[in-house]
Amino acid sequence: MEVKKNLLLQVLRLYGFYAKLDLMWLLRDAKYAILAIITDTISSLAAVSSVFLLAMRFNGVGGMNQFEVLFMLGYVTSVSGFFDLFCSMNNGHISRRIGRGQLEHSFIQPLPISIQLLCEGFIPFTGSSPLICGIAIMAVSLGRLGIIVTWWWVLSLIVSLLLSLFILLCLSYLISSTAFYAPVACEEISTLVINDLGSLMNYPLFGMPKAIVWPLITVLPYGLLGWFPSMALLGRPPLSLPYIYPAVVALVLFVITYYVFKKGFNYYVKRGANRYKDLGFRK
Amino acid sequence: MNIKKYLATAIMAAKSQTNAGIFYLLPNYLLKVVYLLPLIFLWRTLMNSGVETGMTLQQMLTYTYMSTLLAGLLVIRTPLGNWIYEGLIIGLYQRPLSIYGNIIAQTLGVNAVTLLFFSLPMALASPLFGISIIPATWWFLLSLLLCISLGIAIDFIYACLLIRLINGSYLVYQIRYAIFLLFSGSVIPFAALPWGIGRILIYQPFGSLGGAPLGIYTDLSNPFQTILIQVGWNIIIWFLAVIYLKKSQERLVSHGG
Repeated sequence: MEVKKNLLLQVLRLYGFYAKLDLMWLLRDAKYAILAIITDTISSLAAVSSVFLLAMRFNGVGGMNQFEVLFMLGYVTSVSGFFDLFCSMNNGHISRRIGRGQLEHSFIQPLPISIQLLCEGFIPFTGSSPLICGIAIMAVSLGRLGIIVTWWWVLSLIVSLLLSLFILLCLSYLISSTAFYAPVACEEISTLVINDLGSLMNYPLFGMPKAIVWPLITVLPYGLLGWFPSMALLGRPPLSLPYIYPAVVALVLFVITYYVFKKGFNYYVKRGANRYKDLGFRK
Repeated sequence: MNIKKYLATAIMAAKSQTNAGIFYLLPNYLLKVVYLLPLIFLWRTLMNSGVETGMTLQQMLTYTYMSTLLAGLLVIRTPLGNWIYEGLIIGLYQRPLSIYGNIIAQTLGVNAVTLLFFSLPMALASPLFGISIIPATWWFLLSLLLCISLGIAIDFIYACLLIRLINGSYLVYQIRYAIFLLFSGSVIPFAALPWGIGRILIYQPFGSLGGAPLGIYTDLSNPFQTILIQVGWNIIIWFLAVIYLKKSQERLVSHGG
């Protein structure tokens, strides 16, 4: 119990430390930091606006009305916002670190790698604008949908968002394991998983054939990062699946990711990465 | 101009993509297909909803399919930004090639690999997806060339912004992403946008990128009007890019790595 308590304190201390670093950066280079906040906000809005424009043009998408689509887009923006908030130092885009041979940097730190990856990249001051955008979009849509927000609904939303973030990270770590074996070719594969394929989060899956929907809520569960949880939160869980379904998928995905990533990591420990240079840069 | 050295540079850039073996490019290509499939079905769902868009389902599917196949060319990205970010830019000035020629050769070399190992097989496989990829007119080829040329010019301007902002690669990347997503027409056709926005967007410079050749390819836009607009933007943006780069390179700072 004591060990667990110490671990929790250590994690909180590290979050505090990274928050302080982020604040220092904001104060030291305020002009650049404010520009970063503005550009984050613009790109968050741009990412969802195209689908919303489509929803307006087609009077909704696949059985969802415009404001249900808007809520889903707000949810997706919030998931991306959480990602930006906690994973800004390539601890989410892990294939970059693996492919560049930068995991060695973590080996020499007096902390378990898991703790480092958990805490690094926390930027509450400069990285929270997408999350704020997402919450604002959800608030607007909830107002238009006439949903009554209770404390347990808010709690469900937070748990749901964290679960979606967890699934996204599992996907990134799972696919990024390929970078252990092919560092050059797969250095940016997490970008493909998170940023490029992540666009799949924006699309409602209602009306699509089951041959497309099921893979997107099982094997490549992008449907669980936006469509399913937002519909569940609106009281209409798709396909008559239980509310807890995303948690089950997250657990299974975690077990697979843990095994595959560990195997790749052991390979990396034995073989290293030939891209690492003595100055810490890659070639 | 000795074309051989540029050709050799392009071949070298292409080979660098396959250093680890062609097999290792497959995950990237596979994920592109995974992204494409739901989009195809989304459009089928939307287009069958009965809303009049001025496009047929087949046009929409061809547009989406070709935008995936030609993604690297429709909104082209040169290695210049990365070189500035990674401090490799100084090496560019030590080579016996013009800056522009070198960058263009590298860009085309990198994209040739994707065209060969992804776009070509996917073009051959298009009947399996029930999509016709026969272009409405071959004028789209000229439009595609102008789109590539304009994309490279715009990328030079982004690179100049990077030089001015010194460490601002993230900012430039984010803004670039947002602009291309909304204004290039390479993801969602201008014709599918509400309130007639698309009719205005074709006249801005980013509208001469992906949306222009795809519009001609699928018979959504008038080839001659589109090409004329593209030529105009090419002249303006290239003029600005050359001037801006000439001024910006004096400010170039490279820390290496």
